[in-house]
Amino acid sequence: MDQSPTQSAPRPGAMTDQPRPRADFLKVVDFNFYYGKKQALFDINIEIPERQVTAFIGPSGCGKSTLLRNFNRMNELIEGVRHEGDILLNGRSIYDRQVEVIALRRSIGMVFQKSNPFPKSIYENIVYSLRIAGVRNRSVLDETVERSLRGAALWDEVKDRLHDSALGLSGGQMQRLCIARAIANRPAVLLMDEPCSALDPIATAKVEDLIHELKREFTIVIVTHNMQQAARCSDRTAFFYLGRLIEFDETQKIFSNPREKQTEDYITGRFG
Amino acid sequence: MDQTPPTHILSNFEEALRALRNDVLMMASLTERNLEHTRKGLFGRDEHWCNTVIADDEEIDSLEMRVDREGINIMLRFHPLASDMRNVISTMKMSVNLERIADQAVNIARRGRKLIGRPEVTELFELQPLFSAAELMVKDAVRAFANRDIELARGLKARDRQLDEMNRTFAEKMTNLMGGNVGLIPAYMDLIFIARFLERIGDQATNIGEDTVYAISAEDTRHTLRVDS
Repeated sequence: MDQSPTQSAPRPGAMTDQPRPRADFLKVVDFNFYYGKKQALFDINIEIPERQVTAFIGPSGCGKSTLLRNFNRMNELIEGVRHEGDILLNGRSIYDRQVEVIALRRSIGMVFQKSNPFPKSIYENIVYSLRIAGVRNRSVLDETVERSLRGAALWDEVKDRLHDSALGLSGGQMQRLCIARAIANRPAVLLMDEPCSALDPIATAKVEDLIHELKREFTIVIVTHNMQQAARCSDRTAFFYLGRLIEFDETQKIFSNPREKQTEDYITGRFG
Repeated sequence: MDQTPPTHILSNFEEALRALRNDVLMMASLTERNLEHTRKGLFGRDEHWCNTVIADDEEIDSLEMRVDREGINIMLRFHPLASDMRNVISTMKMSVNLERIADQAVNIARRGRKLIGRPEVTELFELQPLFSAAELMVKDAVRAFANRDIELARGLKARDRQLDEMNRTFAEKMTNLMGGNVGLIPAYMDLIFIARFLERIGDQATNIGEDTVYAISAEDTRHTLRVDS
């Protein structure tokens, strides 16, 4: 993994001119995960393809967000957690001793359910991680802000008020600002944990359009409870239940003719 | 036979699906009844039954529109997925096919009325095997849908080919007869048309069978050469 915070070249896997996307760009191998004594994930094996949108669906507590948070090792912030098995990004273990967690989290950006802009200006939100990494070059910062905001389809709406507080934006704009902040580091993977659950239909549509655009450059994994959203946005869908991966297939197949009865019962609302 | 899925957690959804299914089955029952009346009108040379078939078609037309409205409403409100989605789509398509079958019954009844005013031709009764085959195909298509009987649904394709062949043979025979009986040409023409309408009924029953297979297994069997006899 590239650990340079200011590189101008895209990270491996984030380039649009890469000839053949990897089918196993993000690969989970025999993965078990525990919160203390409670096992949350059981024997997960999944290969997430590069530059596609993969949706994780399943009832609350099924482990989809837990797996998502393992991709950038965010779960390690919780005391008493442990895992077995491995997760590989572009062929390399994210648990490799030489991998720095901070660099990993730059490579795997994350957008949360509730937008969480810093109480700073729009501009400062975008360049925050670059400043922490010691970048002072004004033109690099300016370029990053414009590129990221354009990438998040927000530039035209905020270009004349970049130094206004981010907290003055609408809910949908705040969420797109968080996406802009996440892609400022040119991550290889973008994780989205229910990114539209607090948004109105118009803001949701904008974020969904954005997801469609972003997959040209990024590998996206989205957790959603909204089945229609998964059907609209994703190329492949994984269904989780009680910590197990029940089915993973092309989205159209999952939503028209799932292989497993548990998947069928869940997506048709015949669960429990 | 395929098992019925467990009950939906959303009772309104369950109720809407049930209403849609009941309405299409009601439509099927009326269509079958119309075919039965058509048979009485045609082979009994009975104008009353022919007129009844023509009049009763309206009820089937209005049920077709109701099934459409219900289907659209379900898609709008509940966004059905997987087997629910396939069932709603198949049910709506089934109603279109039933309406067309009922239209063919009306066409036959109209020709039947014309035949009453023409000299009797014994060849009329040679249509009975075609009529029975078409009528039974409709009954079986409806039964396959109602009972989720995929094998019965699949078998309709082969039966449709047999009906096509019966129609071809019958039309050839009528064409040959016309040369020697110029005065009976209009009656023979009516019989050829009726055989053609029956052949179309077979096509529409087959369509229902294909939609039933899709509803049950998500398999698209349209425009395939597979014959399950």
